[in-house]
Amino acid sequence: MANTRDIRRRIKSVKNTSQITRAMQLVAASKMKRAQEDALAGRPYAVLMTEILSKLGGRVSDIKHPFLEDREVEKRGILVVSSDKGLCGALNANVLRRIVEIKDEARFVAIGRKAAQFLSRTQRDLLAEFTISDRVLFSEVRLPVEFLINAYYEGRVDTVELLYPRYVNPLVQDPIICPLIPIENLSSVIDKLGYQLGEAPLAHDKREIHFEPEAEAILEELLPLFIKQEVYQTVLEAKASEHSARMVAMKSATDNANNLVDDLTLQYNKARQAAITQEILEISAATN
Amino acid sequence: MSLLLEIITPEKVVFSNKADSVVLPTNEGDVGILSGHIPLLTTLAPGELEIITMGRTEHLTVDKGFAQVLGDKVSVLTEGAIDVEEIDLSAVEDAQLRAEKALEVAAEQKMDPAEIEQLETVVRFSLVQKMAKEKRR
Repeated sequence: MANTRDIRRRIKSVKNTSQITRAMQLVAASKMKRAQEDALAGRPYAVLMTEILSKLGGRVSDIKHPFLEDREVEKRGILVVSSDKGLCGALNANVLRRIVEIKDEARFVAIGRKAAQFLSRTQRDLLAEFTISDRVLFSEVRLPVEFLINAYYEGRVDTVELLYPRYVNPLVQDPIICPLIPIENLSSVIDKLGYQLGEAPLAHDKREIHFEPEAEAILEELLPLFIKQEVYQTVLEAKASEHSARMVAMKSATDNANNLVDDLTLQYNKARQAAITQEILEISAATN
Repeated sequence: MSLLLEIITPEKVVFSNKADSVVLPTNEGDVGILSGHIPLLTTLAPGELEIITMGRTEHLTVDKGFAQVLGDKVSVLTEGAIDVEEIDLSAVEDAQLRAEKALEVAAEQKMDPAEIEQLETVVRFSLVQKMAKEKRR
């Protein structure tokens, strides 16, 4: 049977670990809440954006814009959103597995260190790496998006897609790839957005609107903004995923540590009792 | 009759209140909006947005964006908006200096065009803020 002092030492160290994981769990919980609040705060912007987009989409029939044209896809451009830090369960592993599954020619842009490390380690075509703080700022998201849009204009990539862990519920994060550019069908995108936001059908507003400059020029300016907004929302969602994954991972770590402490305490008491019994036996044997 | 003005950025709703008239810095020059304006959709240039309520004038600097006038509702969609009163000149100048310095370095070292573009945005926006603030003095 193990030495009582050794067991006591182990109990102490496991307790320390459980305190740390518990603190991390609480921090992740509050950060997740903030990411969700930020996502909600961006809603009015999304609604107004959709409104303007639908007004334009309804009026501009024949639109020529690089984002809307159908090019032959040689190189896919994929923006991978991962976390900077580990200890968040299988979140990053799941995202990275999706990268392995991509067999086409692709170039990558990484947000978050984990994805960047993986991409460079597996020697994939990593164009750029960006980091984003826990409190996601729009200006931080702008950088990678503008980089990708430029790469698209220059023809270095032929699509812009996003790979990120979609937030399903606190326990489930599902990595998905969602295509951003080319926008296949503007009106279906508008319909989908309107549906997502739960707004009344906006496109049926047929009041005459004066455009200044003309609608095509406005649309041209609006589309990059629209893409940026989409990515911003996605990154917020990925952050919420990250924090909830970390919260769950840390909760199970805390639970495991507590179980371990219980087991060790039992073992410790047994050892202590055995030692006492042993001593009594020795004393009584000596007196006889 | 008054207008309902909304200024919205991706991060939050910056302004949502009644106003008697609004002056928008559009790409084609400043446009004043009074109640009863025809429906209008226009692009905004980085500059100063004026809000006049009961004879009082408020100023906000906005980055490039879009404005929609529909009925008596003016909606402004922009990537950044700051109340002129809240602008901290020294902070703005610092940001501007940093960005300009980074731009110089970038020009020498051939940085990513996207990063340069980003820095240029910082310079542009902080310049506008500074001009707006100095006008108030």
